Amino acid sequence: MERAAMLRLGNFFNLFLAALGVAIVVVSVGYGFGSLARPGPGLYPVFLGSAIAVCALFVLVGDLRAGSGGHGPDRSAGFTLFAMTATFSLWILAMPLLGYVLVTLLAVFSFGKIMRLEGWRKPLALSVGTALFIYVLFDHWLYVDLPRGLLG
Amino acid sequence: MDGLQLLLNGFVNSLTLVNLLACFVGALIGTVVGTLPGLGPTATMALLLPFTLPYGATTGLIMMTGVWYGAMYGGSTTSILVNIPGEAASVVTCLDGYAMCRRGRAGAALALVAIGSFVAGTIGILGLQFFAPMLGNAALSFGPPEFLCFMILTFVLLANLSADQPLKGALMIAAGLFISTVGINPMDSYPRFTFGTEQLMLGIDFLPIAMGLFGISEILFIAVDKYVKPQVQKIRLRDLYPNRQEIGRSVMPMLRGSFLGFFVGLLPGPCTVISTFVSYALEKKMSKNPDEFGQGAVEGVVGPESANNSAVMGSMIPLLTLGLPFAAPGAIMLAGLRMHNVEPGPMLFTTHPEVFWTFIAAMYLGNIMLLILNLPLVGLFAKIAVIRPQVLMPVISLICLVGVYSVRNSLFDVWVMIVAGVVGYFLRHWRYPIAPFIIGVVLGPTTENSLRQTLMMFRGDVTLVSERPLSLALLTVAVLFLAYRIAASFSGKKVPLFVAEDKTL
Repeated sequence: MERAAMLRLGNFFNLFLAALGVAIVVVSVGYGFGSLARPGPGLYPVFLGSAIAVCALFVLVGDLRAGSGGHGPDRSAGFTLFAMTATFSLWILAMPLLGYVLVTLLAVFSFGKIMRLEGWRKPLALSVGTALFIYVLFDHWLYVDLPRGLLG
Repeated sequence: MDGLQLLLNGFVNSLTLVNLLACFVGALIGTVVGTLPGLGPTATMALLLPFTLPYGATTGLIMMTGVWYGAMYGGSTTSILVNIPGEAASVVTCLDGYAMCRRGRAGAALALVAIGSFVAGTIGILGLQFFAPMLGNAALSFGPPEFLCFMILTFVLLANLSADQPLKGALMIAAGLFISTVGINPMDSYPRFTFGTEQLMLGIDFLPIAMGLFGISEILFIAVDKYVKPQVQKIRLRDLYPNRQEIGRSVMPMLRGSFLGFFVGLLPGPCTVISTFVSYALEKKMSKNPDEFGQGAVEGVVGPESANNSAVMGSMIPLLTLGLPFAAPGAIMLAGLRMHNVEPGPMLFTTHPEVFWTFIAAMYLGNIMLLILNLPLVGLFAKIAVIRPQVLMPVISLICLVGVYSVRNSLFDVWVMIVAGVVGYFLRHWRYPIAPFIIGVVLGPTTENSLRQTLMMFRGDVTLVSERPLSLALLTVAVLFLAYRIAASFSGKKVPLFVAEDKTL
């Protein structure tokens, strides 16, 4: 049952790409196809959209006939993937408010725990070290103007 | 000015503190990355690109090539000592390199690989130095139809050489080309696929996509994988002396690998990886004792390792003379040069000759630096291989996040990187090649310009391409190649052209 569900994920991805190709063609035609002698802004994307749709459909059909289609990550890998992506996203959302030093501390600690770094001391030391490294590299050495947020 | 004088000028320019430092840092980081299983040269080059922006185009190019080149040197260390390839171009080295290690000849293998890489690197640079200006001059007469046909041939070969299913390769190229159409089209100032959003007007920046696809997706892969601590054999300096027999057996594979790698480097696709497989097969075929291969044959280590180094230099020729990157690291370099307003191509040798010749001179110096770095410090690099990814990856994640943000102070770019990273994870999980995607992104604008200019030149009559001999020849090669692949698939014959890019990235 799980195997069947895994197979579907890869097939759905190809279906999505085929639909994306068709959507690109539809939107591009609206930009103006022009003619071969005087190409409009839509001509090139029409070619690309068609290529994406056709290739994705062929890959999909081939996968379905072969009974393959790419499986998704298992439960544990899926959780790690979700947690990593959530941490990345939270860094982006919180950075303007909390400042880059604080979010770096929190994000590195979170990454360390997600990647199974044992205990509390090691992730803490790693997050403090990384925040310091980022501060020295970007703020002091490269003079990048990063949001300081609460520490501003 | 003749070639020698231009080269001497290049040496004068490259012997500045900034360029020497860029060369050394690039080579050192490349070697470290090469020894680390996981993070490959492309991801590292994308990661370092923002740091090269405050310096000139030449400095950036030197640093980027140093990373690529250094990774080829460093990749062999872990292959030989721990049977884990630091990057895909060193997979073949595991076969006989680790077998030599088990027989107590690890030091000799490492020394011969370093010397072989040096010889191959030097031959590669010599080839680049002589062929690139010649091809560059010839390419001056190319018009839009020739460039378009070159790109069509590149895409056909790339799709076939990069993926187990050529259609997946073609799909990735088309998707990459599509991404480059987002934003205002410079030819007619028409906004496409922006959906009224201000951020998309300038298009999707190359750097966040590259860092996402190569950096973040690799981090996600490593985070998901279970870590097994490798055991590293201790190497002392006195262990590095190969015996007379090993030296004698290495000379010809070294030279064969160097020449073969250089020419394989001219092919689109993961040329460094392909060169190692071809070289290994060639050495096995030419050996008097083919049974020794897999049991610790020195030819099986030195030949492929020499080949991957000269392939790097070979692949610089289409990049610098035609502006066509045939591999993912080349695409990063092209993007880096464009950020410095330097457009590689036939005009490079007339508009920015100093970039080319300083780069050549710096590569000679970098090659010597790498030899000096890799022989005495091999034990240290081997220790780097056992740094736990749980410690390394969080730091790299943060460098990616802050690095991408710092280029344009744009959180939108950081979102693009994360989305590209997650998409990249699934693409790699489902064995879609991502190098053709990134090459599509970087070549997109040039392809569209060439297509539209060609159509306007021919007033829509594409049959006129038959009146241009070079264009016709290039298209014929592309069609013949496709016909061969289709015929082979219908006859049920396996055509083993594809080499997994995986950690070439």
